[in-house]
Amino acid sequence: MGYAAARGGLNAILTAENLVRRLRDLDPSDRIELDQFTGRLRLLVDRVMGESGLWAPELAAMALRQGEGDIIEAVHLLRAYKSTLGRLDTAIPVHANDMQLVRRVVPAFREPGGPQILGRSTDYTARMLTTTDREIVDNGASTNAIDTAPKTRPSNSRMSDALRDMNLLVDRRRTDDPEPFDITRTPAKPPAPRSALLSSMARAETGALVNQWYRNILGPDGYLHEVTLGEVRHGKLPINVRHPMTGGSVNIGSFRATEVEAIEDLNGSEEDRTRFDVGYGFCFGHNERKAIAMANLDIACYRDGAKSGLEQSLLMTTDGLDSAGFLEHLKLPHYVTFRSMIERKVAVRRVAEESK
Amino acid sequence: MTSIHVPSPIIQVRNLGKYYGNFDPAMIERTGPEHGTARDHVTASIVAAWGVNFDVAAGEALGIVGESGSGKSTVLRCIAGDVAASTGDVRLTPFEDGNVNILDLDPSARRQLRINTLSVVYQDPAEGLALGVTAGGNIADPLTAAGWRNFGAIRDRARELLARTEVPLDRMDDIVRNFSGGMRQRVQIARALANKPPILLLDEPTTGLDASVASGVLDLIRQLLEELQVAAIVVSHDFGVIEMLTERCLVMQHGRVVEDALTDQLLEDPHHPYSQKLVAAART
Amino acid sequence: MTLETAPQTSPTTIAQLVGHRTTETFALLDEESKREIRRALLQAVCIPGYQVPFGSREMPVARGWGSGGLQVTLACVGADDAVKVIDQGDDEGVNAVNLRRLVTMSTGIDETTEVDEATLIQSRHRIPEDDMNENHILILQVPVPEPLRGIERDIRELARMHSEADYSRMWVSLYEDKVRNGVITQSTGYPCLVASRYIVATTPIPRWDIPRLHQSKFLTLFGAGREKRVYAIPPYTDVEPLTFEDVPFEVESADGATCRLCGSSDSFLVEMPGKQESWSCSDTAWCRRQRNT
Repeated sequence: MGYAAARGGLNAILTAENLVRRLRDLDPSDRIELDQFTGRLRLLVDRVMGESGLWAPELAAMALRQGEGDIIEAVHLLRAYKSTLGRLDTAIPVHANDMQLVRRVVPAFREPGGPQILGRSTDYTARMLTTTDREIVDNGASTNAIDTAPKTRPSNSRMSDALRDMNLLVDRRRTDDPEPFDITRTPAKPPAPRSALLSSMARAETGALVNQWYRNILGPDGYLHEVTLGEVRHGKLPINVRHPMTGGSVNIGSFRATEVEAIEDLNGSEEDRTRFDVGYGFCFGHNERKAIAMANLDIACYRDGAKSGLEQSLLMTTDGLDSAGFLEHLKLPHYVTFRSMIERKVAVRRVAEESK
Repeated sequence: MTSIHVPSPIIQVRNLGKYYGNFDPAMIERTGPEHGTARDHVTASIVAAWGVNFDVAAGEALGIVGESGSGKSTVLRCIAGDVAASTGDVRLTPFEDGNVNILDLDPSARRQLRINTLSVVYQDPAEGLALGVTAGGNIADPLTAAGWRNFGAIRDRARELLARTEVPLDRMDDIVRNFSGGMRQRVQIARALANKPPILLLDEPTTGLDASVASGVLDLIRQLLEELQVAAIVVSHDFGVIEMLTERCLVMQHGRVVEDALTDQLLEDPHHPYSQKLVAAART
Repeated sequence: MTLETAPQTSPTTIAQLVGHRTTETFALLDEESKREIRRALLQAVCIPGYQVPFGSREMPVARGWGSGGLQVTLACVGADDAVKVIDQGDDEGVNAVNLRRLVTMSTGIDETTEVDEATLIQSRHRIPEDDMNENHILILQVPVPEPLRGIERDIRELARMHSEADYSRMWVSLYEDKVRNGVITQSTGYPCLVASRYIVATTPIPRWDIPRLHQSKFLTLFGAGREKRVYAIPPYTDVEPLTFEDVPFEVESADGATCRLCGSSDSFLVEMPGKQESWSCSDTAWCRRQRNT
């Protein structure tokens, strides 16, 4: 009995849902608590929040648990949940310089202004799989006591400012302050303002952005070059809203983000070859590869000037739910179309035979 | 520079100009044949064409001759609409009785002109054809754009045009990519004539072709111009082409028209030093 | 007559603000979202065949699985509606069942398999065989709303082609198809000219269903959730499948096959593969009625 033509389709669905729920929830292992996600799988939680466009660590943990660890499934659950929530307010814009840094690296200079904090990163750890399950005991005797609550430091200088002071940066700063494009309310398509491109990428699937970057560097039709990174930062930013009565700024919370500034060498014939330009990457949580890809693609898209299809690719093919959903929809019944396709093949064959 | 007066012109061009870069009125005086360049040393702008005036009558073919960089192709492309002119007034009698400056039309209206009024044959057939489409399909394109909806009639007209341009009919359903350069050019010409345009622009129509093939195509064009009595502009650096196809021609150098004469007279007795140089070179 | 001041309704505390906004939602989406979708649909009806962008929300069904059709249905549904949902013509298809329960669960409205009892019919890839009239709204699920996708991929060029009604490359592709294959080989989702202006993607409905759109009594709405566009064919609108005057538009032929259940040859039939072909109506409700009458 094919699932497409199953009578009692409702029973089929309920059975499937039941099966998913039971096998998930009644697995003999211990049920995963939400703080295990946020505490021990923080990068996974951060990635899901970034791709959902929703900062809500506990909800992301719930979605991951319900989705049995499938990132796209978790993102779908979060975004669909977001569709049911009304919008209470819009936060006051915050400057990225207000970030309390837990990590900052500046590959472009040996001694940049401001702190370089290697921070919590696996970049230089040896990738050796630990197969023994050692229990980690901290008896306080170690002189390298690790404080699990990371110290944050204010970020008071940034590489693009330094380059600007050295007269090495093209100045593309706007003097007006247009409303940012809201991709959740209006679909973005080329030609789109930069805010639409940046917010699309901020919410894009991590793998999609990394792949877009890589194939444009090395793929057969690619033409991009790697940037030099000016800033790779991770830290906390405040969420401030206007008090409805006093009009003053009220802090209601904070979120973590990853921010990247990519320095682009301008070498095009129409470009200012005495200067650099900057690309910007930004996403929720700690997700450096996404923000770096985003920064490189931001400046690439600007330099491209709509000559290639890069803007269209970035705006319209990097969303995880759109791509996965459309791919997997192929599993739906398509027998009406298929019948029609067979009929056309018979028709073509008939014409060919008649003309002999 | 007085241009030859043409009664009842089909094409009227006045003060056609195109520059690239920033505009400075003084740059016009700093460029041109007297300065030996089209590039303004002050602004680094290029005055690709400036102050071009001419008329073309029905049944007349006007040549524009000059070396590469002279501005001749720029003039053609401005009229065709492939390039946006910087200034000028271009009127076509078959369009609104010549009462509209076509340079003021929006891109959509310019495209409409290209369906029924004005056709272009490019030096590279790939520019005027869809290489992945059949020869017949390339002709079906302007026909359907003009509203043809009868498959049989489209096929008939395509056959008629391909026969006239001496393309073997058994290749009508082959995709153009599989054709030789000379054949592609013939298909491009057939396509250009599909909707019987009163105006035809030809940009170096035989330059890219093998010498053995070029003369055949040239001869075809000559016959067609005679038969169809269109108003034509032929751009070429080759005096042989200009001589064969045109009655009048303009000589351009560094973006300006330096001489405007009957083709025969120009070849016999060029006045401007640059024309003399060109004619002399062609004779050797 | 005294001027009455409006009662104080705007919230003054966060708690009130939250309470104010999270009232019971009818039909899954909040009122603002539904209003936005309806505005887009009104534009679509005013410009038949034009693809209107809208802020497509994420739904409990995945993109590509009917999220657009669902949003259109949810935006249109009222307490007195009755909904029929089919997939490939089948009310019992699993995807149809899933979508139907999402509608009824969040609205409490009636569901039905019978066209004459329904007011809203959401469908994937079929138009029901039964006649529909002014009391019906047909809502089609659209995977790819762009009819010119096969000949052009650049979004900017596609926008230009539609805005200038420059469809010559579409005609060339039909010419090439006929020349190469002897017939026009488009199977489902046949491109049609709507109100002599826009070419639309009719979604993968079979050619069998295309004539039903021309001068229909019912309104047809098209929802593409993933691509974030809606479009419409209002009632009594000309819908012409693109073909040459002398190349007749062909619906699917089953070579005289009849439905093994109801005996009909006058409906769109689908077959079981294999040597002993066995055909049945794709429209299961229609088929059942043929058998019962």
